[in-house]
Amino acid sequence: MTPETTSQQRHGDPTAATDPIIEMRNAKVTYDDGETFVLDDVSMAIERNEVVGVVGESGSGKSMLASAMLDAIPDPGLLSGEILYHKADGTTIDILELSQEELRQFRWEEVAMVFQGAMSSFNPTMKVGGHFRETLKAHDAHVSEGMEFARELLSDLYLDPDRILDSYPHELSGGMQQRALIALSLVLEPNVLVMDEPTAALDLLMQRSILMLLQELQEKYDLTMVFITHDLPLVAALADRMAVMYAFNLIEVAPRDQLIGNSGHPYTRALLNSTPNLDAPLEEMHSIEGQSPAPINVPSGCSYAPRCPLATEECRTDDPPFYDTGSEHFSACHHWETAREEITLNFEAIDDESTAAKTEDAS
Amino acid sequence: MKPTESESVDWRSGSTEAPDLTTRERLREIYDEQIRTPLFVAWADWRTRFGFLILAGYLLMAIVAVLGLWRDPSTNQAPRYLMAFENMQYPLGTTASGVDLAALIIHSTPDILLMITAGAVWATVVAVGIGTVAGYKGGRVDDVLMSFSDFVMAIPGLPLVIILAVTFSPENPILLGIVINISYWAGLGRSLRSQVLTIRENDYVEASRTMGVSTPKIIQKDVIPNLMPYITVNFVFAARYVMFASVGLYFLGVLPYSTQNWGVTLNFAYNSGALFSWSAAHWLLAPMVAIMGLSLGLILLGQGLDRVFNPRVRTRMTGKSESTADTDDEDTVTEVL
Amino acid sequence: MSQPNLAAATRDDADTPLLSLDDVEVHFEKDQGLLDFFDEPETVQAVDGISLDIEENDVLVLVGESGCGKSTLGKTAIGLQRPTGGAVRYRGQDVWAANDKRGDVEIPFSEIRSSLQIIHQDPGSSLNPNQKIVDILATPIKQTHPNVGLSERRERIYSLLERVGMNPAADFADRYPHQLSGGEQQRVALSRALLMNPDLILADEAISALDVSLRVEMMDLMLDLQEEFDTSFVFISHDLSNARYFAEHGDGRIAVMYLGEIVEIGTAEQLIEDPGHPYTKVLRWATPDLGLHAGSASKPPMRKIDIPDPVNPPSGCRFHTRCPEAREACRESCPELTGGDEHHTACFRTQPDHEYWDSPPLDD
Repeated sequence: MTPETTSQQRHGDPTAATDPIIEMRNAKVTYDDGETFVLDDVSMAIERNEVVGVVGESGSGKSMLASAMLDAIPDPGLLSGEILYHKADGTTIDILELSQEELRQFRWEEVAMVFQGAMSSFNPTMKVGGHFRETLKAHDAHVSEGMEFARELLSDLYLDPDRILDSYPHELSGGMQQRALIALSLVLEPNVLVMDEPTAALDLLMQRSILMLLQELQEKYDLTMVFITHDLPLVAALADRMAVMYAFNLIEVAPRDQLIGNSGHPYTRALLNSTPNLDAPLEEMHSIEGQSPAPINVPSGCSYAPRCPLATEECRTDDPPFYDTGSEHFSACHHWETAREEITLNFEAIDDESTAAKTEDAS
Repeated sequence: MKPTESESVDWRSGSTEAPDLTTRERLREIYDEQIRTPLFVAWADWRTRFGFLILAGYLLMAIVAVLGLWRDPSTNQAPRYLMAFENMQYPLGTTASGVDLAALIIHSTPDILLMITAGAVWATVVAVGIGTVAGYKGGRVDDVLMSFSDFVMAIPGLPLVIILAVTFSPENPILLGIVINISYWAGLGRSLRSQVLTIRENDYVEASRTMGVSTPKIIQKDVIPNLMPYITVNFVFAARYVMFASVGLYFLGVLPYSTQNWGVTLNFAYNSGALFSWSAAHWLLAPMVAIMGLSLGLILLGQGLDRVFNPRVRTRMTGKSESTADTDDEDTVTEVL
Repeated sequence: MSQPNLAAATRDDADTPLLSLDDVEVHFEKDQGLLDFFDEPETVQAVDGISLDIEENDVLVLVGESGCGKSTLGKTAIGLQRPTGGAVRYRGQDVWAANDKRGDVEIPFSEIRSSLQIIHQDPGSSLNPNQKIVDILATPIKQTHPNVGLSERRERIYSLLERVGMNPAADFADRYPHQLSGGEQQRVALSRALLMNPDLILADEAISALDVSLRVEMMDLMLDLQEEFDTSFVFISHDLSNARYFAEHGDGRIAVMYLGEIVEIGTAEQLIEDPGHPYTKVLRWATPDLGLHAGSASKPPMRKIDIPDPVNPPSGCRFHTRCPEAREACRESCPELTGGDEHHTACFRTQPDHEYWDSPPLDD
């Protein structure tokens, strides 16, 4: 890299979007009066009707991101920043300014959330049908119409509505519970569905099937989806855009093919290399040395610098901003170009020709 | 084990950490773990501290009584019906027969402490023994032990004690404690059993079984330490039960008056009409305060002690809570991350 | 592999496999309510007639959905679960005959018990929260070498902790399980199993609870230690890519299970390059693949998403209700594991002369 190229690196703004439905600016969550952050200055925009996959290991803050979108950070956490929601009719709501009552309506009617571990989201003493009715009543919705819609949703999810509505949660298998939970989250016709590891405890086949179902639902009901997981390859099938989180920061945002085939961040590339997958030659699978930092231990400068093979002095002192690496691909790394050259990926991204060309050029 | 006993693995890693422990170091380690840390953790909690101090006070009274540092109670040792704090020689006042009330209270303490300890130990030990074996073994053993427990539970407790007390008139406080709690273990045993049923399903119990660890050892190392909070709380309850039951039984006149007991004092006070006259009220109040005080001390200690058995609290207290995990069990942070 | 060696093998026979499962069946009866007193109790056929041999220093990976019986099979293999039919033999000695002290017991159960160990899925609950790591790891040494003194025992523990990457060992040994991360806890569980010096370790979804980036590391560690300690592994996984990694690096086999039966068995390369059974193909489809992520989430190559109720498994070939290639013949009879060259498949489609090819397709 010549000095001229360095000064010409464009800084990117991942909040620039054409038709955003949720805009998050400088969102921070702290538990300790502003000393330690479990979500550190995250800015991101989500386009209407897109599927965003947020990937991060445990301890990266991804669940905080999900909760922040609904202003559902558990006490004693404090959420600050600006989170805007743009309704279909053009009005904008600042989520953090909503009153309790408005927030209650906002949640589930505009933005719904699906958590992992469906079993603990259900009341074990109430039948599944009862959950639907209770939700409809709580939001003053028309119950019989709502139940009709619920039946439609359940059959979209390949569940038998009569059987499911009449069962207790423990009588259903894990996969069925998770699908019932997805149906429950959609019963009030929200525009955005935020999912936090919805398939974590499930079998491979069920995970994949649910992903396929989510894709169908997204198309049928024009949903915007935010899918949060630690399993990168899983969400890759579904996502339009992907974002990677590390140590409570967003470190890379890019369209799916770009992120996988042409990632501009050493952490993402290392993550891609450490995931066992069927095609990669075995010798080239490596795990990532070291561990992600605890909230009180986040290093100054780039949080990945201690573990990064490309780290320089600049990395340890200056926290990298988002650089525009082309085709709406933003990476928070001073050396994103070097990353592409030096860290080879152990698989071939074969579907996108231009991506494949870039990978070959870089290696 | 492989057919050949040879150690194919070289255990010596050639590292720096060869721990050559002398006996002295080992003793110090044991002291640290079993005595110093629990006391440290216990003292840190205000409840345990208060409970401990209160009980220490009672223990002191018992020692005073045993060593004869306070006069024995006897009739006409002082002017009758002295009020409390009237005469500092008899700080709690005197009874209708001129007996020093303070002496009565103090000299009852050793017997009472012996009684409640004996009763609590009896009830707890039997309950733990039966409950853990029944819960862990299951099957036939469980059926037999639980049927026996149910049978014992079905026998009405208090009438049984009264009958036994009247028939055998036990005077030894230890025996008395056991008699009062004779069927107390049954209910406790049952609830311990249900806890054991849950603990038994834990993976680490299965791991111990896979290693061939014997059942008594599994119960000792894997099951009981997890039950300790429950056991300590119930130990305290059993002790309180003995105390209240004994006081009540003495008050009713079922138990012989030869032993000193606050219930006896209460009985005399009541029969002398202390309830209706203010000048005799101290006679009634002194034993009542003594009873309540001991009960309070026991409760506080019991509540505080269960923290001692929680490994997370121990490590946090002793400042060794630096961990590679982001865990701190009161921190909701990592659960949501 | 599917033909069991029924002849009784003596201990000296060098051909005796380390562990031999002979037509093993494990059926569970479901609890009945009072009102169902006169009905037949429902049985879940968790494992139905499986025969398998495991050699010394071998690697076998069991793959399948939840409810297919792989955990039950694993626990039956290491003697934690008594089979309701068939036999489990350790070096020729029937395990449960040794336990019940029936007949001629050549190898006592205590010896069998210490040779077969387990690593659980959830590292948090597989370690006693009230014991320090050093005490947890002292137990296996006390079991196998009761005469070893305190210092020597500690030395062994510390050296193994270092070997698995936990440095400084003295610091880690002094901690309680809740002070360790998930990966570290799992390494302690692995150490505990190894300290028994076992012949076989069952790793029951041992990496499923770990972060994705730690899984490869853990598998590498297990395989390295396998060499050093001369142990076999039975590795249970629901994830085909992890199964493939472990089987290939360990030079072992993968067995695919469905509703209590093994439907295909072979090396990782055979199963992934050339899967014989339609269910294996479904598993391949389900395994997220970075190179093939294009085409987004395509439809699954099976007719139904949900697995049938294990109490009432389908007749004939159990997969016929979901198989895209199923025909009438599949409903009527159940295919056996056939094939050569270590790659066996239980599907009529591998037999060119079977009546399957003349049978009409199912319509539902």
